[in-house]
Amino acid sequence: MLGINISNTAFYRTAKAGGQRVQQAFYDCLPNSVVGSEKWQKRIKWIGSEISSPENRLILGATALMSQPFIDAKNKAVDEDTRKVSVCRTVAKIIAGTTTGFLIRKGCISAIKNWSKLPSSVDKNGVRVKLTKLNTLFSPSKAGSDISEAFKQYQNAIGTILALVVMMFTNFLIDAPLTKFLTNKFVKHSGGVNNETSK
Amino acid sequence: MKPLNNVAEFMSKQFMNVKNYLYKNYGEAPGKMLVHTGVLGWILSSAAQVTAVMFNDKISAKEKLFLIPQECADAGVNIISFYLVTNTLKNIGSKLVSTGKLVTPKIKQYIKQNNLTEEIGKITTDIKKGMTGDIREHYTDFKNGVDVITSTTGAILSCNIITPVLRNQYAANKQKEVLAKKNANIKSPSLEYTSFHKPLRMTDYQLNAYSKYSSNMKI
Repeated sequence: MLGINISNTAFYRTAKAGGQRVQQAFYDCLPNSVVGSEKWQKRIKWIGSEISSPENRLILGATALMSQPFIDAKNKAVDEDTRKVSVCRTVAKIIAGTTTGFLIRKGCISAIKNWSKLPSSVDKNGVRVKLTKLNTLFSPSKAGSDISEAFKQYQNAIGTILALVVMMFTNFLIDAPLTKFLTNKFVKHSGGVNNETSK
Repeated sequence: MKPLNNVAEFMSKQFMNVKNYLYKNYGEAPGKMLVHTGVLGWILSSAAQVTAVMFNDKISAKEKLFLIPQECADAGVNIISFYLVTNTLKNIGSKLVSTGKLVTPKIKQYIKQNNLTEEIGKITTDIKKGMTGDIREHYTDFKNGVDVITSTTGAILSCNIITPVLRNQYAANKQKEVLAKKNANIKSPSLEYTSFHKPLRMTDYQLNAYSKYSSNMKI
């Protein structure tokens, strides 16, 4: 068998060097900056530690409400009635998706926190937690302390992955019917449409 | 019972490897976790949509032949747009910190003390190398914050601006194509002109909007 390592080829080396030159030129254009304010340093640290996937979903939902309905409202490719329903549906979809997305992520991360105890874990009263099969189900063997930032981020990651699997089902069981219900409510509230054909 | 025990042991070992891998990879990189779980979210929601179409008895086999590739194309646009925009912005933020272009006074002092001033801004530089103790913790906290800010900004741009604009454009074009095909079948020049040039009607929109298989929802 002919073993060709692509990273040893002249083409790869030339392409890589070219890519690096472009990247370097881009970063050269950006100014050097120092975040001098203590307040801003604390805020950045807080964001890195406290903003995880549930909060991220909330931010996405809130900004979606500020942009997507306006994009739909300005869509000239559809008639006026359609635009109205389209805006109502978009708002309904964002509210339903953000609410379930946030709650399920929060719930799953909270569950993972209870199912990933370490030998060093203590309860609210400072008493060592008795380890069982369930409460160590998601404990990694390489984690040293359950109060470290790395362990907290690990729990957020596992909780988010679990939430995504759960949401594959709730997407159909909750989001879709809730979106339909809210859309109809919003359309009715906005005075209905002239050419309504289905509910 | 022994083979079963071996299988259970093997599975348990593999599961532990997965947990340790996630701990090592996401423990110090919440921004990366947000990008990867965001992509996974799009993949899973798209897979659910495609599966729903595949197993929906109300959709004919002929319609499925059209709808499944369409759902896959829609998923492709969502996933690629999300990954490209979000990951690119996150990488720019990460690189600014790791090359010393975006720093705090404490990190700036560390750079000076370790004679790294000449290395600032070079894309091959990683000022974290050799950092230990308090300054490493300070650097990691700062970098994690920047990563989360840039990846969230990327997700906002991708999910709330780029994708809806592209999707509206795509949906409008698709509807025009379908209407044009329908009109071509009718073979009436007057009908063809009026229907083709009219904007998308309520009937068409609601049929699509409320049908179970036409909405790709972000989870």
